[in-house]
Amino acid sequence: MHTEAAAQGRLAHHFPDMKTQEHAARMGMWLFLSTEILLFAVLFTAYGLYRFLFPLGFEEASKLAHVTMGATNTVVLITSSLTVALAIHHARKGENRKVVGLLAITIAFGALFMVLKGFEYYHHFQDGQLPGRFYHYAGVTGPGVSMYFTVYFLMTGLHGLHVLIGMGLLTWVAVRAARGHFGPGYSTPVELSGLYWHLIDLIWIFLFPLLYLV
Amino acid sequence: MTATTHSEGKHLGPAQYVLIWVALMVLTGVTLAVWKTNLSYSARVVVALSIATVKAALVAIFFMHLWEEKGVARLVLVVSAVMVTLLIGLTIADNATRYPFANPPYSESWMDAPFRKDAPPMQAEPGPVKTSPATRSEHPGGH
Repeated sequence: MHTEAAAQGRLAHHFPDMKTQEHAARMGMWLFLSTEILLFAVLFTAYGLYRFLFPLGFEEASKLAHVTMGATNTVVLITSSLTVALAIHHARKGENRKVVGLLAITIAFGALFMVLKGFEYYHHFQDGQLPGRFYHYAGVTGPGVSMYFTVYFLMTGLHGLHVLIGMGLLTWVAVRAARGHFGPGYSTPVELSGLYWHLIDLIWIFLFPLLYLV
Repeated sequence: MTATTHSEGKHLGPAQYVLIWVALMVLTGVTLAVWKTNLSYSARVVVALSIATVKAALVAIFFMHLWEEKGVARLVLVVSAVMVTLLIGLTIADNATRYPFANPPYSESWMDAPFRKDAPPMQAEPGPVKTSPATRSEHPGGH
């Protein structure tokens, strides 16, 4: 394809070449992702701590999670990770139309994830399985039960927010791909927003067993 | 792939990505299958979390291109993982080794406290965890 054409005029003056610039960009993205990991790590710590303090309450409360929808969402997110990885592959080769298609599928998977999550939230709200003092479900009561739902809504809520942000990022990248911006010399936006999307998948890989099974 | 911006010779193609995806799907299936067996609770927890770690490693190494990444970018994720482990491990170790009454009321360690019988009665003690299946509503999502 148009080798290096996509890179034209994109090199900042303080980098010797595109290769160094892209490496620095991905390095910066990884640093940002590490702050994201630590943001979620605090919530994972809260989960671990309260699970340790209230093992029975957490065990009984986690049985109220909708495993079928959670498992479906796991499949949805992992598959969307595959389509993003393929999009990056084609962006590097300058096949912008394929990039647009794959990103559109990814965004659709993200939307499906949010819809299923919405159904789960709806059922929990209907049944009064809510955080803290708003918990009024008679089926399971006792110490730690409402704390499970506090942690559940905080973690899945923050994760869902990330899914929405990721969908926005990928939409922006898809628009740029539709304009033919990416090619062999320049695919950084696809790579970096792809990394962000994979991180969302990564966090869900841990959230699913912890909240729905364990 | 003449003008790639990555180190040469380590690029993955669509076939490898699909292979990783298949592996992730299989591992997800194994997690669910093992969860429904009669293994002890702690064994199932260990299996579920080990598989999650393997899946996360697959995503990070292959989908997130750590395989073809050079030098310090790889280090960032490793350091993050170490820090997360320390944060969770030390926090729980702290609470696990406390004098029972220093933990929240009605937590397990508090319930088991040897001095609890001598302690002044607490008000509105919520008591043990109870489940009453009869009042559970039916969900399309199942349990």
